[in-house]
Amino acid sequence: MPAAYFLPRNELDRLFGALVADGRRIVGPTIADGAVVYDELNSSAELPYGRTADTAPGSYRLRTTGDRRAFDYGVALTSWKRFTHPSLIPLTRAHRDADRIVVESVLEEPPKLAFVGVRACELAALGIQERAMRAGPAGDPDHAARRDAALIVAVECAMATSTCFCTSMASGPEVDHGADLVLSELDDGFVVRVESDAGVPVVASLGLRAAAPDEVERATAQVAAVREVIGDPVAANGLAARLRTALDHPRWSEVAERCLACANCTLVCPTCFCTSVGVASDLDGADASTERSWDSCFSLGFGRVAGDANFRPKVRDRYRQWLTHKFSTWWDQFGSSGCVGCGRCIAWCPVGIDVREELAAIAPVSAPTGPIPWPPSPPEGRAPAALATITPARHVIATVRSVVPETADSVTLRLATNDEAVLDARPGQFVMVELPAFATPPISISRIRPGGLDLTIRSAGPATAALTGLVAGAQVALRGPLGRGWPIDAAIGRDVVIVAGGIGLAPLRPVIEAILGERPRFGAIRLYLGARTPRDRLFVAEMNALAGRADVEVAEIVDRAGPEWLGQVGIVTQLFDQAGWDGSRATAFVCGPERMMQATAVTLAERGVNPTAIWLTLERNMACGVGTCGHCQLGPFFVCRDGPVFSVAELGTAFGREGL
Amino acid sequence: MEPPELILPGRRGPRSGTPQRPRIGIVKFASCDGCQLTLLDLEDELLTIADRVDLVEFAEATSRRSAGPFDVLFVEGSISTAEQVQEIARLRAVSHRLVTIGACATAGGIQAIRNWFDPDEVRAAVYPEPTYVESLAQARPVADFVAVDGELRGCPISPGQLREFLVALVTGRRPQLPDEAVCLECKRRGVVCVAVAQGIPCLGPVTRTGCGAICPAYGRGCYGCFGPRESANTTSLARWLSDDRSAADVGRLFAGFTAWSVPFRATIDAYGGPPGQVLPARETDDA
Ligand SMILES: Cc1cc2nc3c(=O)[nH]c(=O)nc-3n(C[C@H](O)[C@H](O)[C@H](O)COP(=O)(O)OP(=O)(O)OC[C@H]3O[C@@H](n4cnc5c(N)ncnc54)[C@H](O)[C@@H]3O)c2cc1C
Ligand code: SF4
Ligand code: SF4
Ligand code: SF4
Ligand code: FES
Repeated sequence: MPAAYFLPRNELDRLFGALVADGRRIVGPTIADGAVVYDELNSSAELPYGRTADTAPGSYRLRTTGDRRAFDYGVALTSWKRFTHPSLIPLTRAHRDADRIVVESVLEEPPKLAFVGVRACELAALGIQERAMRAGPAGDPDHAARRDAALIVAVECAMATSTCFCTSMASGPEVDHGADLVLSELDDGFVVRVESDAGVPVVASLGLRAAAPDEVERATAQVAAVREVIGDPVAANGLAARLRTALDHPRWSEVAERCLACANCTLVCPTCFCTSVGVASDLDGADASTERSWDSCFSLGFGRVAGDANFRPKVRDRYRQWLTHKFSTWWDQFGSSGCVGCGRCIAWCPVGIDVREELAAIAPVSAPTGPIPWPPSPPEGRAPAALATITPARHVIATVRSVVPETADSVTLRLATNDEAVLDARPGQFVMVELPAFATPPISISRIRPGGLDLTIRSAGPATAALTGLVAGAQVALRGPLGRGWPIDAAIGRDVVIVAGGIGLAPLRPVIEAILGERPRFGAIRLYLGARTPRDRLFVAEMNALAGRADVEVAEIVDRAGPEWLGQVGIVTQLFDQAGWDGSRATAFVCGPERMMQATAVTLAERGVNPTAIWLTLERNMACGVGTCGHCQLGPFFVCRDGPVFSVAELGTAFGREGL
Repeated sequence: MEPPELILPGRRGPRSGTPQRPRIGIVKFASCDGCQLTLLDLEDELLTIADRVDLVEFAEATSRRSAGPFDVLFVEGSISTAEQVQEIARLRAVSHRLVTIGACATAGGIQAIRNWFDPDEVRAAVYPEPTYVESLAQARPVADFVAVDGELRGCPISPGQLREFLVALVTGRRPQLPDEAVCLECKRRGVVCVAVAQGIPCLGPVTRTGCGAICPAYGRGCYGCFGPRESANTTSLARWLSDDRSAADVGRLFAGFTAWSVPFRATIDAYGGPPGQVLPARETDDA
């Protein structure tokens, strides 16, 4: 088998024919509304022959070259993710009648496609997005299926646009791996390389002659020239580290004055993968469906949580998330850069914001590197929590056995299920709880018991209001258990301090129960419980019973007392800021509002508790729970799969940092 | 201008018994009726809707009239006369939730262009017998007069969003009315950006989505009829646009259906006011 073949220019349709004969539809570059886009092609005549694109920050213009070349336009506006990670896909269909609910996944069979015209940077981007979507065993099944169903015909670049910088991102311009076939366009035809088993029969069916040495040489020289033209515009070496230490740079606010937070950069970026889930239903909420669509960290909704709180309210925060994710925290998460230097975000930004310029200003090579805000990740990226039995499409129906009223606005749902994965949950894990026609909130498991689990839910918005309104016999659909639980083993042989604020006691109850179940293995056990008012105290009878035990210390405090309250009034840290115990022997488990957890972490550290032994569980906006929707990011972490339980030491200054 | 809270109280989910049929009213002030008629566009589901909600006031389609109270009152149109100021205050008092619909009610509408001009001159230019026209100096959004619980944007509003709002109302879920830019819809649909690829000025980046990106899909710039999105950075967009056009042309771009919304108004003012400082005759193509 020769190293390369030659396909005469006028025989390109024979290649198309061979791909069609292989049962594929062809997607490739074509012109629509003033730009090259990737779309389905019926014949090679639809390729952008004789056209090129001039790009600049905020500008893209097609130009006629007068030659007969088909692939001299840089990259198309649309990236291939439109086909591997479509902008809208149906996820589930649900039905509810009387008490029964059914939730079924409706992922469609992906079409068999051939991608013709994939650039080196785009191949790299497909690989990067695949790693992101397949991270851990809970990878996105839709993405995997679509990627597997595509055959890739790459085309070597013979020109670069002014916005290209693949050379700096080590993603091009030469196609070196990942393609099935690789074409190099010469004036009279194409040098064809076969780079995978799937490519062999396609080329064999064409009966091509071997490429002549000079043809191969011309092809190589062409792409080498592109490398020269681009140069090395971004100082990528050490960039991730420099950016990580520039989180407080004044330039973030300055770029936010120009940035429209319009999300164009993220939606044209071939590696950005973030999505949101929408719900639709009939008027009775009996037939419902969910669908997933592209979203972006530039959307305000990404940082939103119940109670109108928002973790990333400012455009500055959102721009910082974008730039630091692409060029820095992506390394922590997936072991590579999140940028391949395709330049789309530069050209398609409506106000011409240029990541190359922003990087040079925010993370210049000469920048003094300050302390890093969070501990470094392993070179291969962060290993996600074991989620072996969880796929985003797997729903477990559980039945409400009984509903225990807790406070004026919260109840405990006692759920029955015999699903082994759910029953295998560990303290600190959570489930996504779906009621057809409603949003799907993450809820911590508040008790794990034979044949079921408890969820303690506060009515904080419409979905949680609907859940707290359920009655015995009703059903809910669960996805989980998700996330990393409390490291109870780490507390064996040590004192245990548990600090809870309000509903935050719910995820801590399984810890308390686990520890008391093996009481002799632990030292002193101290519970510090805060609530807004005496009426907002959770699990009152159980906590009173614990307070009666000699081997557990329980202290409670409320923000605002009523006439019947004889206990302490104030914030939860007051319960132990003067305490006499030695924190160096203690492991602490903390849950409550983020402000309360910050104050608690500070006070615990003052009491001598090591930051590696202060564990807390974070709340973030979550749509998927398995690390594929992007919503819950906090610096390098996906709160859903790397957490929600973290130690203060792991989080570093990511914890409590405004706007992250 | 953050979107107001749209959740309706008293809905405890599907298992707490049949929710009572909410009493709904639809009223209008200074406007064209286009928005309220959107309800009739929901042909397929109109009967079901009529069954699930109690439509007690909807002059366009039924003869039933009600002075309230309303669980939800949809209000179309801007407030343009002293009488309307009193009427909206009365309606607010008898409405549990008041939801404004359309560019007129939410932002003042196209008629708010006159807010930049001397009302007497406008009257003289528009009406042959201006003495009979009783109007306030300005046409203003409902929220300038009474508290508003929710908004459906657009000129006219989108049938899809109206349906979503009604479904959310009767099922008790949060209506999904995105507050993000039109750009997201363009990119999801695969529409080529008219601003970047053709240099056509487009308000998409500062305008709330909901229309389905209709204008860019037909090769035109967005006119901003859904009004400003959250964090609408009109200052930056206007600065960028002013690189290759005059200040007056930039101001004119923002002076459309939602000109009187706070961010658009500020930008129009910063770029020398709306088109034409005098209104000599009816034929002028201002706005
Ligand atoms: C890991 C984890 C564990 C949790 N455990 C528990 C628990 O055990 N018990 C408990 O009670 N709670 C728990 N929560 C919090 C709970 O998930 C939220 O209270 C719940 O998501 C609120 O949903 P909702 O639909 O009722 O409220 P909503 O306020 O409607 O929020 C629903 C969704 O819509 C978004 N949203 C909020 N405001 C708006 C708006 N104006 N427009 C559009 N979208 C909006 C939110 O970001 C959220 O994603 C937990 C959260 C996390 C992350
Ligand atoms: S960040 Fe910009 S240049 Fe990098 S891959 Fe994404 S769109 Fe291309
Ligand atoms: S969070 Fe990262 S992947 Fe998601 S849209 Fe933002 S930059 Fe892209
Ligand atoms: S950088 Fe540009 S494309 Fe990205 S959100 Fe800001 S204005 Fe939009
Ligand atoms: S990535 Fe989707 S919730 Fe964490």
